[in-house]
Amino acid sequence: MSRENKIGRGRAILIGLTALGIIVGIYRLFAGLGAATNLSDAYPWGLWVSFDILTGVALAGGGFTISAAIYIFNLKKFEPLLRPAKLSAFVGYLIFIIGLFFDLGQPWRIWHPIIMWNPQSVLFEVSWCVMLYTTVLAIDVFIWALERWQKYEWVEFFRSIYVFLIVAGIVLSTLHQSSLGALFLLLPEKMSTLWASPAIGILFFTSAIIAGMSMVIIESILSAKAYGRKPEMEIISSLGKGLGLTLVIYFAMKVTDLYARQVSVLGLDWPHVLFYVELLVCVALPALLLYVPEVRNSAKGLLWAAGLAAFGVVLNRFNVSLTSYGGYRDFWYFPSAIEIILTIGLIAQAILIFDFGMRYLPVYREMSGTAETH
Amino acid sequence: MKAILIDTTKCIGCRACQVACKSWNSLPGEKTAFSETWANPRYLDADNYNRIIFREVTSPDGQVQWHFISRRCMHCLTPACASACPVGALQKLLEGPVVYNDDMCIGCRYCMMACPFQIPKFEWGMAIPYIRKCTFCADRLAINQEPACASSCPTGSLLFGDRDKLLKEAHRRIGAHPGKYYPEVYGEKTGGGTSTLYLTAASFETLGLNHEGFRTDLGDYPQGMYGRAWMAKVPWVAVAVGGLCTGLYYLNKRRGEVQTQEKKEE
Repeated sequence: MSRENKIGRGRAILIGLTALGIIVGIYRLFAGLGAATNLSDAYPWGLWVSFDILTGVALAGGGFTISAAIYIFNLKKFEPLLRPAKLSAFVGYLIFIIGLFFDLGQPWRIWHPIIMWNPQSVLFEVSWCVMLYTTVLAIDVFIWALERWQKYEWVEFFRSIYVFLIVAGIVLSTLHQSSLGALFLLLPEKMSTLWASPAIGILFFTSAIIAGMSMVIIESILSAKAYGRKPEMEIISSLGKGLGLTLVIYFAMKVTDLYARQVSVLGLDWPHVLFYVELLVCVALPALLLYVPEVRNSAKGLLWAAGLAAFGVVLNRFNVSLTSYGGYRDFWYFPSAIEIILTIGLIAQAILIFDFGMRYLPVYREMSGTAETH
Repeated sequence: MKAILIDTTKCIGCRACQVACKSWNSLPGEKTAFSETWANPRYLDADNYNRIIFREVTSPDGQVQWHFISRRCMHCLTPACASACPVGALQKLLEGPVVYNDDMCIGCRYCMMACPFQIPKFEWGMAIPYIRKCTFCADRLAINQEPACASSCPTGSLLFGDRDKLLKEAHRRIGAHPGKYYPEVYGEKTGGGTSTLYLTAASFETLGLNHEGFRTDLGDYPQGMYGRAWMAKVPWVAVAVGGLCTGLYYLNKRRGEVQTQEKKEE
């Protein structure tokens, strides 16, 4: 089978999955949350919050991470990765908002935080940051569209406020990536002590950087394969080095946190097993792997290491919000078929939109013809 | 600040409070069954704002002792639910009740996650769902009536009044009847203090209810404050990160310009 055929078939499957997601989404809107999900008064938050929202936002952290590396830490070599990273961040947030739409009891009121303010609420801050950051990302993508339509005078205008967009993107991301963790500051008694930490905000922020870097690495390698380009190994392996370093820092933070809180880390119960997988298999192991030059310089090695690291962040979000939640109750939650189908539909949709953006927008510099001015 | 003092030693488990609550709030009746004990219904939910938990405790000498504990919203002084709600749909009124505004709620259910007493319940069966919980009969308080449950209680187990006076009365009872009461008023300091106060014959731990809504490990600090403390830091973080990023951005830009200039001169 030729590559075009393969891609065509892949797209057909993704469109099918998206359609399925839309169908169950409509059912969810008319039937209500109780009928569509396995959520209950004992488990008010489930798969959609853990994956579509908490995990989705973390995995979309690549946009601000790469942007900060280039413009704040002056690591100009990462420039070729900036646009793909921002595109995936934009798609990530778009999907997150769609996911949130179905998770809210009254989705048509999703705009309420704009006029109804509760400045005491962490979730209020998160909703504002997400709204503004999605706008910033949308402007970025819009600039590329303007480039494609060759409206250069407009591009010039946006270039003149570019510093504002960059700084706003980094500030907003710093705030809401950490605040998503801070949501759980209010419910330590319902969580396992392994994750119920007063430092959860900064841990979420750091792990979002890990997730962002990992996803940029994975996407660079996979999309290079899909679009028949050569992966820019030199840059990606350099990013892999950065990922390794961040993993080491995160590991140190986790250990310090556990030590400072005197948490008993030895145990063979369910939370401890998940904790070992999260910290040893998905933080320590990829850090070690990335320390080895042979791994760092091979696409396969990078894919494995970054895949493990990204999965570690996914697992962390689930452990914080779901697996460790309510462990003392006599209730059980497993997502319903509809919850799972909708989530798969969202992932499929994300890939489709990303693919559309990659093909129709000047995401790679050499395609665009206009260099990014700094 | 009003409160309800629940002297569980006076409760006879007649459930008149449950009936009164249903009537006043026009909540639908439903077919129920006894649960793990005589308690009925088994859980609080969107149609049941209060219920009496029945506990049989067999003492070492073989005597069975009954405990009846009326469970409902604690109406915290610093409610975690109100700190959690992104749109401010939940509010602590000066008179005591923690009330919920139907017109603001977006259905995010963060209040349910945040409440240390697991009180807010969701209308899972509805396509247009709201959060439901005991309102302290705020609508009755507004017309100078006491909450429906308190007015229906035949034994005076539910005592409505000023919080300060009720606390004094509670401590008077503990002092006057040593041995009859567990010497602590649950809600006086629990979670930063609540407007629902409990006098019990034994601690909630002994009654086995500390994992069923009456947590005894909450401490005196209201957990909603953790969120508020975080929010107090947010503007400073924003300014610091924003300032630092802007500064470094221009520094890097300048550095780049100088480098290009130097290259040209070479």
